[in-house]
Amino acid sequence: MQYLAYLTFGLYLVLVLGGGLVATGSRSIVRAFAGLLVALVGVAGLYFLMDAPFIALMQILIYIGAVCVIIFMAVMLTMASRGEGYESKLKTPAKRIMSMLAGAVMAFLLAGMVMKYPLASTAVPRNIPVSELGKALLGPYALVFELISVILFVAMVGAMVAVYERRK
Amino acid sequence: MSMLSTYQLVAIAMFGIGLFGVMNRRSLVGMLIGVELMLNGAGLSIMAAAQFTQTAGALAQLSTLLVMGLAAAETTLVLAIVLIVDKRFGHVESENVSLLRG
Repeated sequence: MQYLAYLTFGLYLVLVLGGGLVATGSRSIVRAFAGLLVALVGVAGLYFLMDAPFIALMQILIYIGAVCVIIFMAVMLTMASRGEGYESKLKTPAKRIMSMLAGAVMAFLLAGMVMKYPLASTAVPRNIPVSELGKALLGPYALVFELISVILFVAMVGAMVAVYERRK
Repeated sequence: MSMLSTYQLVAIAMFGIGLFGVMNRRSLVGMLIGVELMLNGAGLSIMAAAQFTQTAGALAQLSTLLVMGLAAAETTLVLAIVLIVDKRFGHVESENVSLLRG
């Protein structure tokens, strides 16, 4: 049974890292978008493996269902109509190496901190029932709940106002 | 290596890949994809910190949910910005949109 957990973890790890590399390295934007989808599914799988099925389903619903559709709309409305879909030209190798270095330095710094100061970790994830999440959201964290809805509302209205065109 | 460190290393790798994507891309949509990867790495890290330690579990799961909500709001605004840039400049590449005029 334990091997099965390691096997699924490896599978999700491949999905996350492979999808991420395609999402950032591919020249075609549509392929990068597909890579992002794969990476997001991998993260949802990791949430399932962490015994948090509610958040995993939310990941699928919000990220894959909403955010990815918005990114797809952005691709469709800006690039597809002109038949582009590719970035005009790749950056120069020097810039490419610099950006690779930026990501790697940041990652190694953080990874070094994680390895140097390990926290006391339990081997088995805890299961928190959804009812407890609901109670927390309507009890002590009610203000956060209201604030996030206000932020979402303002963002949606702001986006509509920004692209609104008066009919001539 | 503990489970917490393993998951956090995955999250950090995702963050690094996202940062590379933001730096490496020319188009705004490609940069947005990199930002989404970084945000997902952050969410994964918060989640691992909650599930494998003795902290208040509901708090961290809700934090992950809030990160998702903020990501959705942020993506909507970026879509609007991308549409405006596309209308005004005819393309969505960041390097040619760097001129400020007073």
